[in-house]
Amino acid sequence: MSAGPAPLDSARYAIAGVEPLSVWRPATREEAAEVLRAAALDRLRVVPWGGGASLARERAPERYDLALDLTALDRVVEYQPEDMTLTAECGVTLGTLRAALAARGQELPLEGARPERATLGGLLAANASGPRRLRFGAPRDRILGARFALGDGTLARTGGRVVKNVAGYAVHRLLCGSRGGLAVLLEASLKLAPAPARRVALVFGVDARALGDAARWAALPRLEPALLTVAGQALAGTLPVASPTDPFTVIAGFEDDHARVDQQVAAVERLLGEPDARLEDDSAAALWQALADLEDRDGARLTFTSPANTPAALAPLFDQPEAAVAALFHAAAGRLHVFPARTAARDLVELLARAGFSLIEAVAGTPDSAGVAALEPVIAPQAAVLSLRARLRQALDPAGVLAFGPRWEQGCP
Amino acid sequence: MDWTPDALAELRALLGDDGVLDSEAARFSYEADALALERGLPDVVALPRSTDEVAALVRWAHAYGVPVTPRGAGTGLAGGSTAHRGGMLLVLSRMDQVLSLDPERMFAWVQPGLVNARLSELAAPHGLHFAPDPSSQPVSTIGGNVAANAGGPHCLKHGVTANHVLGLVVVLHDGSVVTLGGEAPDAPDAELASVLAGSEGTLGILCEICVRLVPRPEAVHTMSFDFAVVEDACRAVSAVIAAGIVPAAMELMDRQTMEVVEAWLHLGLPLDAAAVLIVEVDGPAVSLPAQVERITAITREHGARGVRVASGAAERAALWRGRKSSFGAYGRTGRAFYLMDGTVPRSRLAEAVATVYALAGARGLRAGILLHAGDGNLHPHILFDADDETQRQAAFEVSQEILRACLRLGGTISGEHGIGLEKISMMSEVYAPADLQTMGRLRRAFDPGGLLNPGKMLPEVRPA
Repeated sequence: MSAGPAPLDSARYAIAGVEPLSVWRPATREEAAEVLRAAALDRLRVVPWGGGASLARERAPERYDLALDLTALDRVVEYQPEDMTLTAECGVTLGTLRAALAARGQELPLEGARPERATLGGLLAANASGPRRLRFGAPRDRILGARFALGDGTLARTGGRVVKNVAGYAVHRLLCGSRGGLAVLLEASLKLAPAPARRVALVFGVDARALGDAARWAALPRLEPALLTVAGQALAGTLPVASPTDPFTVIAGFEDDHARVDQQVAAVERLLGEPDARLEDDSAAALWQALADLEDRDGARLTFTSPANTPAALAPLFDQPEAAVAALFHAAAGRLHVFPARTAARDLVELLARAGFSLIEAVAGTPDSAGVAALEPVIAPQAAVLSLRARLRQALDPAGVLAFGPRWEQGCP
Repeated sequence: MDWTPDALAELRALLGDDGVLDSEAARFSYEADALALERGLPDVVALPRSTDEVAALVRWAHAYGVPVTPRGAGTGLAGGSTAHRGGMLLVLSRMDQVLSLDPERMFAWVQPGLVNARLSELAAPHGLHFAPDPSSQPVSTIGGNVAANAGGPHCLKHGVTANHVLGLVVVLHDGSVVTLGGEAPDAPDAELASVLAGSEGTLGILCEICVRLVPRPEAVHTMSFDFAVVEDACRAVSAVIAAGIVPAAMELMDRQTMEVVEAWLHLGLPLDAAAVLIVEVDGPAVSLPAQVERITAITREHGARGVRVASGAAERAALWRGRKSSFGAYGRTGRAFYLMDGTVPRSRLAEAVATVYALAGARGLRAGILLHAGDGNLHPHILFDADDETQRQAAFEVSQEILRACLRLGGTISGEHGIGLEKISMMSEVYAPADLQTMGRLRRAFDPGGLLNPGKMLPEVRPA
């Protein structure tokens, strides 16, 4: 095999301080499959590695022997703008994709932190979704097909590259969010969107009372904002615009043709008054990215999902003011990130569960915040789902080569 | 299987007499879905009313080793709900209630037997609708739509059914009941729910479905363009997409199709044209005039002749009537036809259409085409004389060749009808053995006993 144990610094591939025994960086799908076959024979535990942006901050799996660096698989395989679809290898960075698409007036409307480093595979494996989730969907909604390797090195493909396809099981959708615990994504086809003619962000500083006033926000979801995000004061310093004095900053974002955006902006101003700040086009896009980058901020992070769709849903969090000001809530998408103080995490999860927020991800951030890692799901997993997950993992990775498999099987955040 | 009076008595005890049909007449009335070529007589037809009843039925079937084939309205065109191995046909049409509807947070929990169009009717007073709109929507059920990951003319802009499913309550192979996903966009186990979409009833029985509802568009404009050359219309479709416009729908009818419709309904369709392209834009009223203008300009550049634009409901309905009646119009001719459901990348539509005519022409057969053009989804109808066995065989071969051509052009063999029984033999042309084995492993993980809709969708593949 031509792909080394690459002369790569294994410290770069540490997860929560745990380094792998070796690092492989295959140049082709076949080489990736070969590494997996060899690992299966040697009973090694493998972590597929993209940009490493979020993995470095994960909890370490029980065993971690080999990092499978996929960044050499970075070709755009096929891109026809008139198909509005793209097929690319999973090691390509989001930054590279964005540049290729922007040149043709299109975009892949999925956000991830640090696009210059984050890879397509990492984004899909995390089912990462940013502030614009409601409008454009998560990776699971945009993936049309994929090529992947099973733990034993079998190369397989499901779906295709056309936008309508009901031939066979959508294993590619199952792999979105599997965090490399079920199979290794190698190539994916995705549905694109035209880049909007105009983007506008309206920024409002509000206090807790205004934030919790349900009537104030009730009409916003029907205006179909591209995003509607609340950032607590503790996060304000990291955003290009945010009120340093108000406890909360609310951002309403709109993307569409000029006439529609003007209409939406006018409607918001009727409801909420003059905004404290307003960003347009590239500046607005930079704000979206800054919001996505916040997820990658140092320290622990808890991520929740909720059917709630307005800023007022954050009100129950006022009981823990310290957490409330460290919250980032993409209200339109029902997705809440909290960057909690270590000790408060458990109480916080219970408090939010009572308010309809389910914990879906807990990132330790640094080894010393391991307390977050031990969070048991507050709602006990369903026994029949756990046995289904066990059977699925046994079916796709019978030798248990993939190090994050046990975590996928337990369905735990 | 051998029916013992005891086993049947257990079923009747579960559902009551009106929920269990085993007379020959009743069983024959359920022997096929809309793919009438494939028939299979169920041993018993069960009509549950609740999730608990479905769970009890599946436990019963699991205990006796009886195959279970779920069925909604039976509008499927691929034989997916035919009980071709006998056993129990699980007819979900009595589970037709909206369980809850949340207009603020914009979702609804529904039972699988609810008719698609009915949900949008019930959501309309709240200014909402259920976006997936397969042509069968006046009769087809939401459970069936999820199982087939149904599309419809408007999925171009609004996405296919899988994009609108938030959560599922599912009865698994052994009768256990689980919730996958939920009301929140990323609720736990949503990834498992996403695999059930498009799984054709082979992984579990959908009993409760949480679907996303979306605001009804404020305005809708429908345009109709005539083309002298079908391929020009296809190229116009690609050009509109490449210009960054995503219409709500782009639908194409060729002359053969117009003739069939015209013979029935006398709508005044432009029979001197080779094709008519219907383009619909929806959304905020303020956005639409500019879109209409750009689409009109682009289609003119590609050879569009007559242009009609309608914004009123009645005018729009008139433009759509021909398109929406076309499947029925083919049925009404009394002539036999094979209806295909292939998909190609949008940029290859013109080639695909030319290939359909060439393949049919080479065998002396006539072909009529309907296209969900914006999605690259083709529905060619290959006409033949049912009494002429040579013609029937030729038409069958042409239809298989058309699907192979879709594969060669980078597409696939089913955009929205599914594989069912109809296309199962072609799956090995779409996928490599390792792909099919991987899907087979997934299926056995969901259904270790192989009793859920057995023999559908995946060909038997020997383990590697």
